[in-house]
Amino acid sequence: MSQPTDLRTGRIYRAPREWTRVHPVSPFLGIWPVVGAALFYLVISRAPDWIGGGERDVTDAISATHIPWLIIAAGLLAIVLLIAGAGYVGWRMNEYRIGDDAVYQRKGVLFRQQRQARLDRLQAVDVVQPLLARLVGFGVIRIEVAGGENSGIALEYLRIGDAEALRNEIVELAAGYKRRGGPAAEVPASGGHEADAVVAIAPDGTAGALQGDNVVFAGLRHGAVDDRIEHAAAAERPVYKVPVGRLIASIALSWPTFWLVLTPVWIVALMVFFRVDIGDVLTAVVGTSLVTAVPVIAGLFGYFWTKLNRGFGFAAGISQDGIRLRHGMLETRRQTVPPGRVQAVRLRQSWWWRKAGWWEVSINVAGYQNDQDAVSTLLPVGSRADALEAIWLVLPELGLVDATGATDSAVSAAMDGTGADDGFTASPSRSRAYDLFQWRQRGVRTTDWALLIRSGRFVKEVSIVPHARTQSLALQQGPLQRALRLATVEVHSTNGPVKPIARHLAVADAVALLDAQAERAREGRKHQTPEQWMKAVGLDA
Amino acid sequence: MSWLNPDDAQWTYVSRRLTAARLISVWLLAAPFVAGFVAAQVLAGGFWYIGAVVVATFALWASWIAARQVSAHAWAERDDDLVIKQGRMFRRVIVVPYGRMQYVEVQAGPLSRMFRIARVQLHTASPGTDAHIAGVPVAQAARLRDRLTTRGEAQLAGL
Repeated sequence: MSQPTDLRTGRIYRAPREWTRVHPVSPFLGIWPVVGAALFYLVISRAPDWIGGGERDVTDAISATHIPWLIIAAGLLAIVLLIAGAGYVGWRMNEYRIGDDAVYQRKGVLFRQQRQARLDRLQAVDVVQPLLARLVGFGVIRIEVAGGENSGIALEYLRIGDAEALRNEIVELAAGYKRRGGPAAEVPASGGHEADAVVAIAPDGTAGALQGDNVVFAGLRHGAVDDRIEHAAAAERPVYKVPVGRLIASIALSWPTFWLVLTPVWIVALMVFFRVDIGDVLTAVVGTSLVTAVPVIAGLFGYFWTKLNRGFGFAAGISQDGIRLRHGMLETRRQTVPPGRVQAVRLRQSWWWRKAGWWEVSINVAGYQNDQDAVSTLLPVGSRADALEAIWLVLPELGLVDATGATDSAVSAAMDGTGADDGFTASPSRSRAYDLFQWRQRGVRTTDWALLIRSGRFVKEVSIVPHARTQSLALQQGPLQRALRLATVEVHSTNGPVKPIARHLAVADAVALLDAQAERAREGRKHQTPEQWMKAVGLDA
Repeated sequence: MSWLNPDDAQWTYVSRRLTAARLISVWLLAAPFVAGFVAAQVLAGGFWYIGAVVVATFALWASWIAARQVSAHAWAERDDDLVIKQGRMFRRVIVVPYGRMQYVEVQAGPLSRMFRIARVQLHTASPGTDAHIAGVPVAQAARLRDRLTTRGEAQLAGL
């Protein structure tokens, strides 16, 4: 039997049942931006003027105060010791453990915090690796549960193997079955009950998984660590990937690029019409040194960079644990969203993407609070078939889309239909007063499982909310709408980028929709996926 | 049907005491300004009275709106969901299934307590659900909260 160990260190990756501290390296990984900034400043202050802009060195400033150097050194040492001490105490006090029905965390020095993330409320588990942590093989695990702001738990930092082990254990427990059979997940015979909790991160018994592995760069390739980990995680079937070429093309096809390409035109216009001396402007904007220029340029390209960094290497797969998403260039994120946790889906196609036929798919997952863009993307860019497949991935019960992306499905029809096509209830032509361009595109359709809301002429959008995931409904009407006999139906989903609102329907349609939708939501709630999804299909052996 | 009218439930309108509470808060805000303008007029002359007239007009208008809004604010308990309607110019009907309620909150500020009314706020997992009933008599609010909580527990669905 293969020991679930990292062959390099002989370490067992495990999800601890007893209180365990996060890894001792955590304070250092946590404060590295501060250290980095200090080092950066030191380097800059010694560099020639054209880089640093000729700022005065900090040493000059200190000399000017006439305080003896010894005292300054002692002060600095005290500060360093204080930070180190605080980091050490903070680390000592940051502990976690996993139980059968929750993950517990206690931390804090002055203000003690006790947190528990109940696994029956589990919505998603993410393993995030910021750049530095990734270089040295560490990661953060984020456990998102339903229940409002800050109800999740973040453990930073764990060895990446420990994080993955914890992730696997969490989704297994949350699924409602104690242990998966099979050779890979064999449990060490020794160690009694505590060891029972160990999720085997078994290498597949060969050295192959570790080939070319080295300490520093182990984390940089997905393969190196994953091969040891994924073995113990449920088998995954890859569903789609986003090629880098397509990602770059999709980012290039956007309004920021358009404005950027037009820059020469702006410059000429400014010079001709406003007689602005462009040299002065450039000097003012970019400044005289590299240090000031870099942030300006970074800001200019920030949009592109963020999109590229987040969408890089995007891959989606499906397993018993739910859908798995992985993406990121410098900072990587591996998301696991159990089945039935996706509350709403939005398809979106900007005008620039129409020719290429690309779509972006976003999701609402309860529990994801911060940094919505980073976590709520299901597909950064993909063809129509990819998009349909992505929807099938998260809402298989939709039953209208098969994995091959059959074109006669309701979702597919919604993607480019207008008016009353395909069983849609369209906004009447009098809604032109509100939507000069897109009134033809506005419409709603209900299927057995979900509500589809279509809108947008230039930026096409389709929102899909399963009836079983409807939180509440609202019907609204302002004075102008009343004059035009229109009303808006709003479906409330959990926090996220998808805001399903059907605007400017005929009043009779809107009222009927609200009534019918309340009824369907009631029916849907009876049939929804249970919290422990594996129990539902009898796989809880 | 011109507007939503639940067949199987009766609308319960909120207490008219809410009108009084709202009028007081409107005039508490407006009165110092009116008094200030009047004082300026008396002391300095000129056209200060225009300010007083404008503020008073706005306050009267706000009072009228408050009265109209309160008389349109009602709720209905159906078998599976709570329906709340509010607003006259901007009308809104909201349907909250009992099974989706995460918790029910009853709030009462000093003014509300003076008029023995409270505000019942419903929370679901969606931040978009802005479902509240302002101006429920205190005793009724407590009963309503208990009833909603009981029904919520009986029908509780996951997310």
